[in-house]
Amino acid sequence: MTGETYLAADEVTKKYGDVTAVSAVSLDVPSDAVTGFIGPNGSGKTTLLRLLLGVERLTSGTISYSGPDAERQLGYLPQRPTFRPGFSVRETAAFYADLVDDDPDRLLERVGLEAVADRPVSGLSGGMTRLLGIAQALAGDPPIVMLDEPASGLDPAMSRLIFDIVESIADAGRAVVLCSHELPLVEKTADRLAVLESGRLVRTGSVEELREQTGGPLHETFTALLEQDRAAIAAPEGTQS
Amino acid sequence: MIDGTRFWTVFVREVRSAVRTRTYLALGLITAIVLFGLAHAGGGPTGGYVPTVVDTLIAVEVLVPTLAFAVGYRAIADPAVRGELDVLDTYPLSTWSYVGGVYAGRALLLLTIVVVPLLALGVNVATTAGPETTVFASHRGVDSPFLFIRFVALTVLYALTSLTIAFLLSALAGTRGRALVLALAGLLLLTVGSDLAVFAALDTGVTTGTLGGALAMTPAGAYRGLVFDQVLYVAVPGRSAFVPTWAAALSLLFWWGLTFVGAMFATDAA
Repeated sequence: MTGETYLAADEVTKKYGDVTAVSAVSLDVPSDAVTGFIGPNGSGKTTLLRLLLGVERLTSGTISYSGPDAERQLGYLPQRPTFRPGFSVRETAAFYADLVDDDPDRLLERVGLEAVADRPVSGLSGGMTRLLGIAQALAGDPPIVMLDEPASGLDPAMSRLIFDIVESIADAGRAVVLCSHELPLVEKTADRLAVLESGRLVRTGSVEELREQTGGPLHETFTALLEQDRAAIAAPEGTQS
Repeated sequence: MIDGTRFWTVFVREVRSAVRTRTYLALGLITAIVLFGLAHAGGGPTGGYVPTVVDTLIAVEVLVPTLAFAVGYRAIADPAVRGELDVLDTYPLSTWSYVGGVYAGRALLLLTIVVVPLLALGVNVATTAGPETTVFASHRGVDSPFLFIRFVALTVLYALTSLTIAFLLSALAGTRGRALVLALAGLLLLTVGSDLAVFAALDTGVTTGTLGGALAMTPAGAYRGLVFDQVLYVAVPGRSAFVPTWAAALSLLFWWGLTFVGAMFATDAA
């Protein structure tokens, strides 16, 4: 189920010198839903996510938040979450929780890390570090949670666990935005997809809507969409597709 | 601006992190060994407070910024590289609260490393020097613990200014490698380069009449001038400061404020 729009991007563009990383992207981020950004490497997924977060400055366009009043509007899991060494899992969660008057134990229970609360963060596996990053992203109950490649480099069981948690975050009424190359998991979890290529938004729609275009699983749809798009770009130039 | 609760959260984390880092304990021990070694090699502690300041001043002038840069050169660069600053951008935490909290925590650490050995040296002087050093002087020409306390207070101001310079460079660095290079360059400039620049300017406008004022414009020159004026020459009748005291005091405060605000803006842009 998708609800009201919490975040709206209008003609958002980001340039680094002569390189356009994101080009005139407009999209809405609805509540109660997982919105997945998919696209090949270098397509602008992470840059778009960071623009929506406000940690990258826009070259042009606007981003407007229209979600509920909240002390912290956006939660963020970076692609490679790294924590200050020398602290335990609980101390790390407590640092972020204290900034928004939250309960660190509640955050750790939310992601299933309560059993390793006393372990130093340097002793966590990659998956557990990612879970701690998700706990941090949930501190202060932000209405929108953005996750950059939450399961990249993890084993299938941990990836599945993380996507289950992602699903439950959206079920709790939040808007979730994620970038991922884990297409089978995205297909199962996302309510809406935004396909990016070369910084442009190629398609948006539900998984079903995109799948109808090719009749196959998401990875085939994904490949087909990008091929169609490349052909459309190439045709006016007279190049062969 | 600064939010008290969040500033405190950041400050407490810095202090905890410092307490758990054994390298800082080693830095404190090395500082104590250097200061006691130099003071006793020069015979300062048996001579009194002012002779002890004379024995240690040059070392303190180099040691304090070195320690400040060791404590501060990665203070902002590290969290920037880790992506922590991006994550903290999503919290209701102002840059003032964050940089202020990190600065306060590291300043407490730096002052512990610098002030504890100096105070211990002062106690050593009190227990080994003659009885004439035990009075709190109310007039010039007399050695006194009060002069040593002034020396420590001026050293605190110099340490805090050196730390803000280290913070500014750390915030500008962007990477750990560049943070190290900038710190080494900054340290060289602070301890040697700025004085050399003033003396080099003797050929281009700075005269012997304005040399004192020009020296007071650099942090190291201002600190040295203040120690001479407020500590050493107080015990030596007939001598006056080689830099204007007010200019030296304002110079240190100016460098502290300028680099602190600069570090704030650089962190915001990081």
